[in-house]
Amino acid sequence: MNLRQRLKEVLSVELMLEAPAEEIGDDTPLFGPNGLGLDSVDALQIVVAMEKHFQFKLADTSQAKQVLHSIATMAEAIEQARTPA
Amino acid sequence: MSILQHVLITGANGSLGLETARYFLSQNDAWKVSLGVRAGRQERALALGEEFPGRAQVVHLDVTQVADWQAAVEQATQQQGPLTALVNNAGFHDDALLANMSAGQWASVLDANLNGVFHGCQAVMGGMMRQRYGRIINVASLSALLSPAGQTNYAAAKAGVLGLSQSLSKEVARMGITVNTVCPGYIEGGLPAEWDAEHRKGLLRQIPMRRFAQPREVAAAIFFLASPEASYITGVHLKMDGGIL
Repeated sequence: MNLRQRLKEVLSVELMLEAPAEEIGDDTPLFGPNGLGLDSVDALQIVVAMEKHFQFKLADTSQAKQVLHSIATMAEAIEQARTPA
Repeated sequence: MSILQHVLITGANGSLGLETARYFLSQNDAWKVSLGVRAGRQERALALGEEFPGRAQVVHLDVTQVADWQAAVEQATQQQGPLTALVNNAGFHDDALLANMSAGQWASVLDANLNGVFHGCQAVMGGMMRQRYGRIINVASLSALLSPAGQTNYAAAKAGVLGLSQSLSKEVARMGITVNTVCPGYIEGGLPAEWDAEHRKGLLRQIPMRRFAQPREVAAAIFFLASPEASYITGVHLKMDGGIL
């Protein structure tokens, strides 16, 4: 299972999403009316889930908006963090 | 529920804190208790720790200090495993009519009774969110609901605890974390020593049950709210006043 698929599964379980994991688009916005429609409490859960399942910690809250935009941006951030400097 | 339960109780050297700790430890072997106490106020908590070896540990905790909270949660977790419950019990009152109340009296009571609860909830939140389970019980007071004269600071703080608890309960409900308050009235063992028999009699006449609460009765309510069985109860303010209000 690749990283994006795993992210979708984790989100589906942790946030108890109605849509099945495989139906979440890589670039579908997580927040806002044109996307999955998640709220700020979901955002909190996503941050915790990224730490718990992917050992990825957001550097600060200013990073959150960019990283938590979509599955694709979350995967990019995790892959970047894993790449040795 | 088969998982081990671990509760941190603040103000654990006082009458209610101690009785609550004892109640948790006496119910079954599944519970471990971390007794949060300030420096110089730990004698009785230490004695309880000796009574229940391996299940009750004292941790230093001044609830008004963020650093103390971080250290206490870390120490408690290292000693006895992840925290599943927090009882924000520490607090005090310093009564005066508002016209005579100093800024220090106002600030210190708000700091211990309200800010301390805020710091505590924050300190345990990450762990509870990660395990998707938690029980937070904030000890408020009947004063939050029936605010008597002379307690503008205490009543404000405890009313603040009700608001904080209810708001937080909505934030974390979907993560399996419940947040409730108990609002005890007068509790034996916690009443001012200077109250004479006449004063106590006057108060008792106001209480339909004609007696003060026993610490154990409040402890039992806290224990229930901390238990897995209270899993669908959140945002509640449990009034325990013998029928006054």
